[in-house]
Amino acid sequence: MAFDRKYVTYAVGGIAIAAMPLSFFGPEGLRLVVIGLLMLAGPGTALVRLLRFGPPDSPEARGTLPLAVSIAVASSLGLSTIVATAMVFSRMWSPPAAVFLLSLVTLGLLALGARRSRGSLAGAR
Amino acid sequence: MTPEPTPSAPTAPLSPAPHRHTDTKHGGAKHGDGRHDGKHGETKHAEVKQGGAKHGGTVPPAVVRHESSRPWQLAALAGLAAVALALGIWSLLSVDPDRIGGTGLVEALPAVYFVALALSLAGFVATLNLRRHTPALLAGQVLVLVVILHAADPIVHGLPRLEASYRHLGIADYIARSGQLDTNLDAYFNWPGFFDLLGLLSGATGVRDLMGIATWAPLGINLLLLAPLLALATRLTSQPRQAWAGVWIFYLTSWVGQDYLSPQAYAFMLLVTLLACLLSVFSGWAWPTGSKPFTRSLAHTVAKLDPTVQHQGITSPPPADAAVLLVVCAGILVAMTASHQLTPFAVVPILALFVLTGRLRLRYLPILAAVLPIGWLVFVASAYFEGHLGQLFGSFGDIQANTLGAVTQRVSGSEDHVQVVYTRLAEVAFVWVLAAVGAVMAHRRRTAWLTAAVGALAPLALVPGQPYGGELLLRLYLFSLPFAACLAVLILIPDRQGAPGWKRSIALLVMGSVLATATVVTRYGNDSMEKFTREDVSLVNRLYATAPAGSILIEAVGNTPWQFQKYAEYDYRELLAAQPRPDAAPLTCDAPNRIAQRTGAYLIITTSQKVAAELLETTPPGDLDRFIATCGASPGWTKVFDEPGGVVFHIKGAGNGI
Repeated sequence: MAFDRKYVTYAVGGIAIAAMPLSFFGPEGLRLVVIGLLMLAGPGTALVRLLRFGPPDSPEARGTLPLAVSIAVASSLGLSTIVATAMVFSRMWSPPAAVFLLSLVTLGLLALGARRSRGSLAGAR
Repeated sequence: MTPEPTPSAPTAPLSPAPHRHTDTKHGGAKHGDGRHDGKHGETKHAEVKQGGAKHGGTVPPAVVRHESSRPWQLAALAGLAAVALALGIWSLLSVDPDRIGGTGLVEALPAVYFVALALSLAGFVATLNLRRHTPALLAGQVLVLVVILHAADPIVHGLPRLEASYRHLGIADYIARSGQLDTNLDAYFNWPGFFDLLGLLSGATGVRDLMGIATWAPLGINLLLLAPLLALATRLTSQPRQAWAGVWIFYLTSWVGQDYLSPQAYAFMLLVTLLACLLSVFSGWAWPTGSKPFTRSLAHTVAKLDPTVQHQGITSPPPADAAVLLVVCAGILVAMTASHQLTPFAVVPILALFVLTGRLRLRYLPILAAVLPIGWLVFVASAYFEGHLGQLFGSFGDIQANTLGAVTQRVSGSEDHVQVVYTRLAEVAFVWVLAAVGAVMAHRRRTAWLTAAVGALAPLALVPGQPYGGELLLRLYLFSLPFAACLAVLILIPDRQGAPGWKRSIALLVMGSVLATATVVTRYGNDSMEKFTREDVSLVNRLYATAPAGSILIEAVGNTPWQFQKYAEYDYRELLAAQPRPDAAPLTCDAPNRIAQRTGAYLIITTSQKVAAELLETTPPGDLDRFIATCGASPGWTKVFDEPGGVVFHIKGAGNGI
């Protein structure tokens, strides 16, 4: 399980980092896949990695996979919607800046999640 | 904001062991009243049998030990799913679109398609009946069903269905290019959230043509709905197999077809996620239930109706995490409000009833959920609000007009179309009867039902509002469907954990087969007019290449795959909306001539327009061909294109500026 979580973190972090330059240039197909994934699940997955739905290894925490996936997708799309709408209403439309912001939020949440995991491990010891 | 405390109801649960989800990966022997024999290896596969609940909870729960499913069973079921998927896709690829007639896709489907559908249904039911609950395999079976039942349009036609999909692409393209909204151009710009999202994707990736995404949106949206639906169903039912069956029934009965690239599809996904999150994390009473007579009586009534309510919220995150989740829920509400007019209003009664039944302890959330869309309507969509007061409030309180009136309007058109509409009404009635029977049975068995019933009924509170262009009942059906589906399965799936048994499984298979067959008709009943051909799109592209910017473009009947680009560059008009018109008069040349009077105009009549006019009886039979033949020969009319996709005329204006 920890193995899975680690690789999810690496994948989400990689997508967030790659999305920043790709929002300016790159092959269209690659840009669509990477930025699409970031908008679909990037910040939300990082958030879900940070959150605890119950005591670790409890049935409550284990049984929340569908909920975690739902929150990851809905919060990522919701954040992307709010950022894009705010840019339109404030007449500051800049898709690369929006992607940069989403990437920063994703990386920030991943960093917080990693810090929290380390804290939990240290506490367990 | 920290979640409020959750005092428990003063009334003792009438059943000593109310049913709730505990079975996850390890079979779920962690029930409050469950016992295990202390042998680690055996409790891992133990599930609690609620044998007593059926009889009023007098018999203590027993532990049923399950053997793991045999590997050959799992392999056979996975193989069955793969065969169903392959046959389903192959049969859809072999469909001849020209054979799609008045009753829709069902006329053109080969027999193999129904074999694939039957295999898919049997695969799910057999997986549900395995001794060991196997979520991964169940997920696979549901995914196969989603592809076979909900991805027919992209596989058969390879183009987006519904003309609205094309318009939505145009709005997103306009925002991506300009970063601006033009509320004078279209009411959509007053709720731009979803289009901003698409515009951001297009702008950030440089992909200007999102036609592929629109084409595959029905599949993508249904796949994205799987996790939220399951998370919600898990909070509405007593055990995981009921939840999976509820999700399955949802897909089998989701015929409304709002799953195209649209704000409502997006908002619906947000809605289901929001409700699942709230029921999981913030379940409980919003006030102490022992202090005041009203709250005491409310809690007593709820406990009497459904003794499981106070046990149904399962997750207990730390307070800081719960606070973050509350912010996430508020953000989802904001995104939903910015994206769609109706869905946020459907949230309000659902949340209010959850508060009143002890399933939501955030008493102020329904108020926030109401303030957001009303505030948006008044302050952000102010231009629309002021200009459409009559439309918004004109039929307020007129329940008959908003319900029966809207239904009656829809029961018209060609004979084939009317048959499809009646099938839809029958399917809706069947689902609601199943849900009602499920609720009554669950109440008698003292198992979870009240939250699902409340969720299914709450959207009906919108009925007195307005007819929503005659579509209100369709939308309400969709909003209530995740809940109604969970009630329907209570008829056949037992509350105890473990396999339902072959008799129940066969009954479930029969029920699923009836629903699936009906949905093939109801979902794709309008396929002849909702699908477009490459010839239709090619004709529109040629029109765009010919007509100078600023031209007036006229469609004879509102069913053209256009506006996916150059949304603001032309003045788009329609002569007739694509809707039934009893005793329709023939089209005359006057209407387009009047529009073209000053500056001239281009008139497009596509094959898709003719099909819609015939199906809905928008015009008398054959009238568009007569219109082309007679008006096309009028002075000032020049045929610009005559192709398999239709014809384009240029109508000369008096000034003939164009």
